[in-house]
Amino acid sequence: MIFSELYGAYYNAMAKILAKAIEHPLKKGELRSIVDAYAFEESILNIETAIDEERWQLIKKDGTTPIMHVPSMPLTILQKRWLKAITLDPRIKLFEEEISGLDEIEPLFTREDFFIFDKYADGDNFEDAAYIKNFRCILDAIRNKYPLELTTMNRKGNILSMVVMPKWLEYSQKDDKFRLIGVGRKSNDTINLGRIITCEPYTKEYIPKESVKNQESARVVEFELIDERNALERVLLHFAHFKKQAERLEETRYKVTVAYDAEDEIEVLIRILSFGPMVRVIGPDNFVNLIKERLKRQKSCGR
Amino acid sequence: MAYSELIKKFNRIREYMREFYVYGFKSREEYNKKSARSYDDERRRIESWLGENMQFRQSAEGKNVFISIDSRISAHNPLYKAWKTKSFTDGDITLHFILLDILSAPEIAMTIQEIMELVDDYISEFDHPRYFDESTVRKKLKEYVNEGILISEKQGKVLYYRRAAEGKLYGTDTLDFFSEAAPCGVVGSYLLDKLPSHEAHFAFKHHYITNAMDSEILLTLFEAMHQKKYISVEAINRHKDKISENYIVPLKIMISVQNGRQYLMAFAPRFKKMIAYRTDNIISVKLAEKCEQFDELRGKLNSMLPHMWGVNTQSVSGKRMEHIEFTVCYEEYEQFIHNRLEREKRCGTVEKISDCESRFSADVYDASELIPWIRTFICRITKLHISNKELEKQFWDDMENMYKLYDLGGADAK
Repeated sequence: MIFSELYGAYYNAMAKILAKAIEHPLKKGELRSIVDAYAFEESILNIETAIDEERWQLIKKDGTTPIMHVPSMPLTILQKRWLKAITLDPRIKLFEEEISGLDEIEPLFTREDFFIFDKYADGDNFEDAAYIKNFRCILDAIRNKYPLELTTMNRKGNILSMVVMPKWLEYSQKDDKFRLIGVGRKSNDTINLGRIITCEPYTKEYIPKESVKNQESARVVEFELIDERNALERVLLHFAHFKKQAERLEETRYKVTVAYDAEDEIEVLIRILSFGPMVRVIGPDNFVNLIKERLKRQKSCGR
Repeated sequence: MAYSELIKKFNRIREYMREFYVYGFKSREEYNKKSARSYDDERRRIESWLGENMQFRQSAEGKNVFISIDSRISAHNPLYKAWKTKSFTDGDITLHFILLDILSAPEIAMTIQEIMELVDDYISEFDHPRYFDESTVRKKLKEYVNEGILISEKQGKVLYYRRAAEGKLYGTDTLDFFSEAAPCGVVGSYLLDKLPSHEAHFAFKHHYITNAMDSEILLTLFEAMHQKKYISVEAINRHKDKISENYIVPLKIMISVQNGRQYLMAFAPRFKKMIAYRTDNIISVKLAEKCEQFDELRGKLNSMLPHMWGVNTQSVSGKRMEHIEFTVCYEEYEQFIHNRLEREKRCGTVEKISDCESRFSADVYDASELIPWIRTFICRITKLHISNKELEKQFWDDMENMYKLYDLGGADAK
């Protein structure tokens, strides 16, 4: 069972509360801050009352507890089976040197059980030894916050050398690629891991360069949608991973606002075009012009 | 019943969260098919769980509630919180911590009577002790054995209980990544809850988080496939607002990372064909008897995949297979367009027919599934041939309508 109180926020918060009460008699302030951190906005009303009324016979009036050991729970079969399933994923080699302790466990799913049918074909090679080495080197630098010296190959096949302070790794399921997001370079602090040839800690004195990149990267596009051929559901689900708002204008006409990053403009543009005449961009003007430009060029293609 | 932040069943909240997240334009009145109270309770719960992700807008039709999340800046799927809200009794939580405290190490093995005595000792420390009867404790122990937290073993005629070994957890980076990138990732989120809070080192682009709401359904489907069983599945047709029940063989989960949908591909003996069910339309799944032809049917589906662009295994035209091909043009410096075709094609072939032209062609069960992709090449499409002529005509009619939408004229487009 996935939906079980064993994994619930209340049990989790209560485990932390008991751990504190084992250390010393629990204070009201401690209880509240634990509930704030591990449960939900309104949880304090329920948890505090249940303890005060001794409905949960775990914390006594004086803040002590009869529980003697810091609460812990062994992994459930469900958790072990999920862990086993991820060991069958080729990407596990990026993270774990050795997989052990799950020999007797049946995986929750195997690679035969599911298929991602629309990811791009040129994803990263997660089983390549050099890729794995670079990945781990970057992850270590992110964890320990030190700069890296990289050599990469650009689209034209030229080898470039650079120093970057890595901040995090971004993974796209659609591209099936990792990208390093960093700071400290003049421009373009986003580097595809698949293009990295070597990666070493940078040990000389590190002086980050000031970025000349336009900081105003947040953009918004507004479009109207006609709900024909199930367009409403398709469009809203398609753009679900962006911050967005939808508003009904008439029975089958809607206005949708999608926020996106400037670097993704072309992608957003072609994704909007994919919905054909069911979607009409209404603003901003420069986005409308981008659409018009493409349509004009299409007309010049003969049809 | 009085309002409670926790819930007993997941299905109703699953529907509301989907509505708030995907749509978010409906007013309270539109949700009130069942009862206004129900809407108010569910909205309040989700607000309590998701906090700042929950937003409001006042429209002419009333107050609209919606969930707004930029999944690119959320290291952890906020919708997983909904899975951590299962209700329980006062006795459940009390017994949980006492039993695991009594059986605090795998070496400690006890009978039910020994456990009962110790449970009473814990409870007796309270001003108004609420003692448990033996059947309640026995039931809880059995439940925990089934979950794998405890182990029961017989020595002679006596049954002993002890704690299972803790089990090895992977590192936080591993769990952070796979809890977002693997199916049933909410289980990874449960594992992360066992670990101290930490800085996230991953972000996710093109990340559809709504499938999290179907985790329990997915789990049951995986289990049915694992056991090679038939299932009885209850699914809703949202357009007709009609629920139907079907008896099918589940074969594979098909996941889209481009449109956020997730499907079950199954063989339907009644119709003698493969059918796709959207997992978010599945209300319940019940396992039935074993299907002896499971391997054969899965093999059949696998052999069909090279002719499936999406999940359809038949076209509107009724033809067994449809042919589709289109040509795009580009400048010499725009070779990335050819690369796009290679990278984005899911089946079929791509040929370079000149330095500045490439052609894609495929035989597929349903050519209409390719239309949205072909439209992403608008401004470069020089030829399009589809064996389904009606579909081809519709493509160009749609183009005409797009020209009109942007005041670029229609008729002279040809």
